[in-house]
Amino acid sequence: MKKRPGKQLLELTVNDEFYELAVEPQETLLEVLRNHLGLTGTKEGCGTGECGTCTVLMGDEPILSCLTLAMDCRQKEIRTIEGLDRENGLTVVQDAFLQQGAVQCGFCTPGMILATTALLEKNPNPSQEEIKKGLEGHLCRCTGYNKIFEAVEQAAARKSRHGDSGSV
Amino acid sequence: MNELDYVGKRVLRKDGPDKVTGRAMYTVDMELRGMLTGGILRSPHPHARILNIDTSRALKLPGVKSVITAQDTSGVMHGFVETPRYPPDQHPLATEKVRFVGEEVAAVAATDPYVVEEAIDLIDVDYEQLPAVFDAEDAMKPDAPEIHPTHPKVKGPFHNIGGKTASSWGDIEAGFANSDYVRQDRFESHLRTHGYLEPQATVASFEPDGKLNVWTSSQGPFIKRAKLARTLGLPFSTVRVQKAYVGGAFGGKIDLFSHEFCAALLSMKTGRPVKITASREAIFSAYRHGQPLIVEVKTGVKKDGTLLAQEFKIINNAGAYRGSGVVVIFLAWGFAMLPYRVANLEYEGYSVFTNNPIRTAQRGHGAPQLRFAVESQLDMIAEELGIDPIEIRMKNARRSGEQLPNGDNVHNCGLRDCIQLIDEHTSLREKYGQTRSTRSSDRMRRGIGIGVSSYFGGSLIYPNSSSVVVKMNDDGSVTLLTGAMDIGQGAETILCQIVAEELKVPVDEIQVTAADTETTPVDIGSWISGNAYVSGNATRMAAGDVRNKLIDLASEALEANAEDLILKDKRIFVAGSPSRGLTYQKLVSASIQERNGDPIIGEGHWRTMRDEPFHPSLASTKGRWSENYAFDAQVAEVEVDTETGEVRLLRAVTAHDCGFPINPLLVEGQIDGQISMALGHAFLEEIMMEEGRTLNPNWLDYRMPTIHDTALSEHIDVITEKYEVGQPYRTKEVGEGYVSAILGAIANAIYDAVGVRLFSTPFTAEKILRGLGKIK
Repeated sequence: MKKRPGKQLLELTVNDEFYELAVEPQETLLEVLRNHLGLTGTKEGCGTGECGTCTVLMGDEPILSCLTLAMDCRQKEIRTIEGLDRENGLTVVQDAFLQQGAVQCGFCTPGMILATTALLEKNPNPSQEEIKKGLEGHLCRCTGYNKIFEAVEQAAARKSRHGDSGSV
Repeated sequence: MNELDYVGKRVLRKDGPDKVTGRAMYTVDMELRGMLTGGILRSPHPHARILNIDTSRALKLPGVKSVITAQDTSGVMHGFVETPRYPPDQHPLATEKVRFVGEEVAAVAATDPYVVEEAIDLIDVDYEQLPAVFDAEDAMKPDAPEIHPTHPKVKGPFHNIGGKTASSWGDIEAGFANSDYVRQDRFESHLRTHGYLEPQATVASFEPDGKLNVWTSSQGPFIKRAKLARTLGLPFSTVRVQKAYVGGAFGGKIDLFSHEFCAALLSMKTGRPVKITASREAIFSAYRHGQPLIVEVKTGVKKDGTLLAQEFKIINNAGAYRGSGVVVIFLAWGFAMLPYRVANLEYEGYSVFTNNPIRTAQRGHGAPQLRFAVESQLDMIAEELGIDPIEIRMKNARRSGEQLPNGDNVHNCGLRDCIQLIDEHTSLREKYGQTRSTRSSDRMRRGIGIGVSSYFGGSLIYPNSSSVVVKMNDDGSVTLLTGAMDIGQGAETILCQIVAEELKVPVDEIQVTAADTETTPVDIGSWISGNAYVSGNATRMAAGDVRNKLIDLASEALEANAEDLILKDKRIFVAGSPSRGLTYQKLVSASIQERNGDPIIGEGHWRTMRDEPFHPSLASTKGRWSENYAFDAQVAEVEVDTETGEVRLLRAVTAHDCGFPINPLLVEGQIDGQISMALGHAFLEEIMMEEGRTLNPNWLDYRMPTIHDTALSEHIDVITEKYEVGQPYRTKEVGEGYVSAILGAIANAIYDAVGVRLFSTPFTAEKILRGLGKIK
């Protein structure tokens, strides 16, 4: 059997919880989230950075967790779809996706919602072009994107109407 | 009184909250204690004899728990079609020969994915390479390498024929003889794939008591159970296929896949759960795609545009095994028959073996290829005759109540309304021909075009029918047990709406248990466009059964006539005196006390074409096909850049007779998704192959539409049916009929914009520039 390199200690924060994990150097953030932490809401559609389903937030930035080595996340703060949960229910973005029919099979949905969340946190009133830019790395095969567009616009409108209560 | 509270409303998805929070568990998310990882060794050759397989080095690798080859299997074969004429022809693992690059040769289960990968490398296979053939027409030639013998019932000089469909009506010779104008064209389509986001995955867990539990990404668990049980040599009753969320399918997850068989057999060998997940590269290069058809069509018309005669010759490149190749040549016949009346028609379709991966159903299953050809040619004919595209279609469109040549009836048919309304909505007749007549020298030119299509909803192919159980709970809420598989289209949501309507219980007070061969009754499956009609009517009957029991009890307890009782908010009361009533909770408890413990359980069953014993003949088309036909007209508006040859689909309008929409929000989702898929079909997507190898097995090189590639999608509902509580209904399909007419519409719009007629998909910039004479 080929000898594998030894495990290393990874310290990171995921959804406001601090973890110390022993991971192999070739493991990706996606593998750590799904296999070590059981956070299976983050999906793998291709494993090569083409579809966007594995998107999570590092700080405020959406990143592709399938292309990110776990060891490059030392001391970083990661947010996954599970970290958006609110005690009082869905976030504005989650609710907008639901209301607008922007969800069908649901496999791209966690990545789409995280990317939208990041977009609206930075830019509460994105133009159509900015929405496209924000979601261009995400494939959806079911909806044709029209209703996803409407969901982002609805979330932005609702957010600006009610002010930023901290939960996008 | 027909006041609907739930059916016909924009009810939000039942599974929506699970999906937006990441709680939805797909097969690939399943983890079982002690689970092993499985992997597959695939053939590197398109055609070869297997001389020897040596697994000894792999078995010695620490961590490897089992390696299986054909020797470990029961030898029972399977296929998409399993009939006396078309018996199964696929081994779950290759025996003696491999016939395509990627064919499954051996499988491994080990403690982790790295060991699996290494073990696969350590399996030694000796091959003797054989001559191979990849093009369908080449494969039909007498000197072509033989992949399988030509089907014994197919006469003629051709090689490698997996199956043939032949059908005709009227007198084709007379039809052409009486025609004022005849033209013949050849259209070709290209290889595309489903592009479901969730990779195929299977978890199998064989229990010590002999039970095999399976979770697999599928379009219905019952067909998977049947094929798994047969190939594994197990009784149906010991195989349990259960629901996991499915991340899209589009026809690509219907019948048995080798990895499903291998996960199950590896679990049986090791006594531990085994998970096999397909890599995206494997899905692109070794899994099943759609089917490119060559469509030769000769059409004769009268001066006024009446279709008199049509002759079709279809050639399907079916890949290395029969797959759904013999289905697509049957269906293409149907899509030729459906929307227009043609007095004399002759159809011949061949499904041809080649050394390409196996092909399967893809949304529309032959309709886009066929309608692209017919709708393009119809516009050419109209132009020749000086008739506009609307008039020629109105002249030939079927009307309500028409009997089809195969004996089916179209019942309420809204096609003529679809064509008329879409013309009004888009001003097609005003716009059509304008760009060309102005001889515009503008670089960007716009065009408009129309296409027409029709699609069936449910047919008799295993499991043929749907059954449903609806149970009352002690608290007056309801539980729905259905075998239906929600693949994203919203099956569970619409079935809940039907229960809600029949029982007047809010949708969120209905619990659903779905798609489990053990605990839910059989279901037709989410792959034959029969969910809303077949599973829906079964659900309506089951809920109706419960309603009758509730009314019976209430009528007795309230001393009122059943006709005077009203159901509302989980309560039954006497019309006119709302206080004289009983809650469902009380009625359930009364039933248990007074009716021998009956907690009120309803059952319903539905089979399409209940008097018909079998499915129609794939070879002769004899027998009934369906009792539900949806019709649509679609209009495309495009902009062509005459410098670059690039085309943009600006606007797509769908006018459709879907019977009635059970959930308009979900129907819109289906339309939008199909417009997007057709846009990909028209402009972006193509699986490139060379010598049986896939050159672009990833999403960078197989370009599916992104959020930058969207078109305005509008729709017009033509309602031809209705829903009434307690009555059977006839709604129509909306899940795959709208990828077809739009393709012809786009081709016709490109012609309208720049005068370039396209005879093959995709509509590339290169073809446009060549048509414009700007490149050679």
